[in-house]
Amino acid sequence: MFSHYIDLSWRSFKRTPLVSLLMVIAIGVGIGITMTSLSVYHMMSMDPIPEKSDKLFAVQLQSMDEGESWWSPDSMPYQLTYRDTENLLNADLPFKRAALMKTGFSVHLNSDKVKPFLEQTRVASRDAFDMFNLSFINGGVWSKEQESSAAPVAVISQSISKKLFGTSNSVGETFYLDDLSVRVVGVIEDWKLHIKYFDLNNGSFNKPEHIFIPFSLIKANEIDTWGNTNGWKHEPVKVFNDKLQSEKFWLQFWVELNNASEKRVFEAYLENYIAEEKKAGRFTREKAEYKLRDVNQWISYWEVVNEDNKIMVALSFMFLAVCLANILGLLLAKFLRRAPEVGVRRALGASKKQVFFQHIVEVGMLGLFGGVIGIIVAQVGLFGIRQSLSYYDALANMDISMLMTAPLIAISACIIAGLYPAWLVCNTTPATYLKTQ
Amino acid sequence: MLEIKPIFNALLRSKVGAVLLLIQIAITTAIVSNAAFIIKDRLDYLNQPTGYEEENIFKFNVMTFGTDVDLIQQVDLDEQMLRAMPGVVDAVQISAVPLSGGGSSTGFRLKPVPEKSKSVNASYFETDEHGLNTLGVNLIAGRNFTEDEVVLNRDYSKFPKVALATKALMDELYPGEDGLGKVIYMGDQPLTIVGIIGMMKGPWLKLENRKDKSVLLPTVSPGKLHQFLVRTEPERRAEVMKQIESAMHSNYAKRVIQDLTGLDVKKADYVAEDRLMMRMLVILISVLVLVTALGIFGLTLFNINKRTKQIGTRRALGARKSAIISYFVVENSLICIAGLVLGVCGAVLLGQQLMAHYSVPALSNWYVAITAVAVFVMSLLAVIGPARRAANIDPSIATRTI
Amino acid sequence: MLKMNNISKMYQTEMVQTHALRDFNLNVEEGEFIAVTGPSGSGKTTFLNIAGMLEPFTGGEYLLDGIDVGKLNDNQRADLRNQKIGFIFQGFNLIPDLNLYENVEVPLRYRGIKAAERKRRIEQCLEQVGLASRAKHLPQQLSGGQQQRVAIARALAGEPRFLLADEPTGNLDSLMARQVMELLEQINRDGATIIMVTHDAELARRAPRNIQVVDGQLADFTLYQGNPNMAVGA
Repeated sequence: MFSHYIDLSWRSFKRTPLVSLLMVIAIGVGIGITMTSLSVYHMMSMDPIPEKSDKLFAVQLQSMDEGESWWSPDSMPYQLTYRDTENLLNADLPFKRAALMKTGFSVHLNSDKVKPFLEQTRVASRDAFDMFNLSFINGGVWSKEQESSAAPVAVISQSISKKLFGTSNSVGETFYLDDLSVRVVGVIEDWKLHIKYFDLNNGSFNKPEHIFIPFSLIKANEIDTWGNTNGWKHEPVKVFNDKLQSEKFWLQFWVELNNASEKRVFEAYLENYIAEEKKAGRFTREKAEYKLRDVNQWISYWEVVNEDNKIMVALSFMFLAVCLANILGLLLAKFLRRAPEVGVRRALGASKKQVFFQHIVEVGMLGLFGGVIGIIVAQVGLFGIRQSLSYYDALANMDISMLMTAPLIAISACIIAGLYPAWLVCNTTPATYLKTQ
Repeated sequence: MLEIKPIFNALLRSKVGAVLLLIQIAITTAIVSNAAFIIKDRLDYLNQPTGYEEENIFKFNVMTFGTDVDLIQQVDLDEQMLRAMPGVVDAVQISAVPLSGGGSSTGFRLKPVPEKSKSVNASYFETDEHGLNTLGVNLIAGRNFTEDEVVLNRDYSKFPKVALATKALMDELYPGEDGLGKVIYMGDQPLTIVGIIGMMKGPWLKLENRKDKSVLLPTVSPGKLHQFLVRTEPERRAEVMKQIESAMHSNYAKRVIQDLTGLDVKKADYVAEDRLMMRMLVILISVLVLVTALGIFGLTLFNINKRTKQIGTRRALGARKSAIISYFVVENSLICIAGLVLGVCGAVLLGQQLMAHYSVPALSNWYVAITAVAVFVMSLLAVIGPARRAANIDPSIATRTI
Repeated sequence: MLKMNNISKMYQTEMVQTHALRDFNLNVEEGEFIAVTGPSGSGKTTFLNIAGMLEPFTGGEYLLDGIDVGKLNDNQRADLRNQKIGFIFQGFNLIPDLNLYENVEVPLRYRGIKAAERKRRIEQCLEQVGLASRAKHLPQQLSGGQQQRVAIARALAGEPRFLLADEPTGNLDSLMARQVMELLEQINRDGATIIMVTHDAELARRAPRNIQVVDGQLADFTLYQGNPNMAVGA
């Protein structure tokens, strides 16, 4: 019966090609525009590390004096001071922790083989690789001893390894970061991320770094940040050590807590830490404040999905509503004109249910066609977006779930629009039209 | 005949059709007026004057990895070399690039820290006496700082005594007074304002209360990574830019030249999202208006098909063609006006929602009014074709049995 | 009054020319009641359409009240139709979205008659067909005979000189058909000229003058006055 209905639908489509095409285009354009903005929204708000996003927590400490405020939604500083970062990193706790900072160097081999190039570099403590699921192709992370002794070592990505040494197995090779000679201890697969969730300070959609060096090098080699440094009080910084001692915020800190009890232990530690620092004259606020946010909370806290995109998604859905009203009107007209034919069918023994189902199949088919056109329209739209914004390369794309969603939305939208006309037409009293004909 | 169910009478049918049309027109009006308003808002933002000859200025980064050179001396040598290049008007090392989205800002005060004082946040640019000319901004009062006043610094131990500031900053710090010659504080350091700059946008166009407030500090303190700004004669920028990398490397080789970009391109990158949003909205409202017009067109055609006999009868009863056309135009206008009334309310509501949840300014009523008129005209255009077709229905159709 | 001289109507398709009417001559005097009969496809409806200016004709001359119809443009024909002619259709052709009152009002509106005058005429005409009490009803709520009476009221409302009726009883049972016929006779006595197309011989016999159309020509011309036994085309 279903295939018969599809056959009938196709005949009906061909009988009024202009109107049918108009409906398909209306759905297609509506779905296309909606999917374009929805795809970007989906990519922007997608969980970047779903397998452990609820176990990784960004740490925030309220170390500003009473009355000082920040531009974050809850007035908590986004980053940490060097002093707090170092203390949290070195605390005797059984949790993996990552202290992070963005910097950059001229990368070269001190020879003519490779032209020197500027490369952003991530300063990280050694747990970071494990915490953020970075996988090694060759070698591994630097040792605890190398970390504590500020050894000049690096982990690099496969693509940098190929660029510098022509191979992805460059463990043991040395290269230069400015004038610092570093030895490669590990090569990782390129870190592919569309949201740079671990450091959202300088553009949420920037690419992750390809070179990683130990956190201890900051102090040993006076490496300054390429990210933001923000202060809240007047502190003259004349030499680098002034910055290390200052209350300025310039480092990111993450902790991996696998369950609620681990989280409680860490929270208790933080409370205790703040109390200790209070004695040393810091954390002067009456109410000690700290925040632990998991990856998804962190992303929404930073308002990564930009406002324009939300407006576009809202407007697109309203647009879709217009398209649906449009289709509903045309369906109504199309179906009601067919009422005499339905009268005959009913007289020949078709049940209300069968007539209703026949028409629902027909609108479903329109929806399917519309969905396919919608995907094409959306691809064009996304192509246009990628052309306008280079860093949207990874964002302005339809993944499988979005590709499946398009016809699904189209078909269900059409069926919703078709319910009323189909209900009207299946209530045709057979006698009415037989008589007037 | 009496058995005809009320749901099948034409009245109800056309009522549902009319309601659907009304909804379309209402939503269209609501979306288009708000989208048009946002577009205008973005256009104003994108086209605002900046104070720069953007197409004649470019910047580049220098990352020095060699350690056998004194950076301050090297900057001086580089500047001399750049300024001597044919086609270059002026060149300077500067701590931040305007319109680029990257730079420094701090609170400027009437009294030194730690005294309580009014503080106004402004961007600052560290540069030498060529900064003003390279930026090409307009000094409206006072003088530029001199070479003697420029502080050469490796560690911020010395601090300049004078500075240039924009009028917007001084007007806010000293409302109603002439800012020239006044002293402002950066932390605990006093700065005498020797010159006032008129129009000069800072690094962040998005920050409404900071974009016009900037300070030029006579300081040269290049780090390993520092930036140059170059202004060329008109039409000669591309030619100069091509030579930069080799020229800089011939001066000193152990460094990387990077991000060699025109100021207009920097600005375009910075505003790319806004431009994208604007384009998407333009496409959205064009397609939306088209879809709504097609909807009106399609529904009117269907109505006419449904009423062929009726139209023939009316013609037989003495209706002129114009009477048939006006019948459909009036019918459509009634629906349209009802839709517009609803749409205007919807537009205002949507505008309020957008303003409440997002950083969209209050919707101007003009946009709603103009959109309403435009939608009305659009609906007339969409209905006129089918209506003319209806008028051409042969009156003899009335005597045919089917 | 109504004069057709050598009227012809030709339908041209790609392959064939069809003559719907040929050398059609007719003279109708004021106050006549004429029944037009003939087999289907003979050209009755074409004649009626031309008489009512619903269709143009290809040759000959048609004078209505001395006005040469062939020389009028579309608007002038519409106005003339509106002022001089009342139509009664086989399918009633009431407008389903309008109630009875509004249906009768349609031709009056096209003539630009003032609201008060319209009201008077509509009420009078609905009274005349016996449906004044149902003015607010929609056509679907009436029986066929009642609908045709509304259509007659609509035709009368404009106080036309001519009433053109196309199979006015074709969709009605015999009782209702007789009522409609009596109404038409009453209207004719009141002074209107009526041309009625029918294939019902019994009805035709009640008309004082019968004409028969065969193959697009006026084939017969019989005056039945006082001689109802000489039936034609039974």
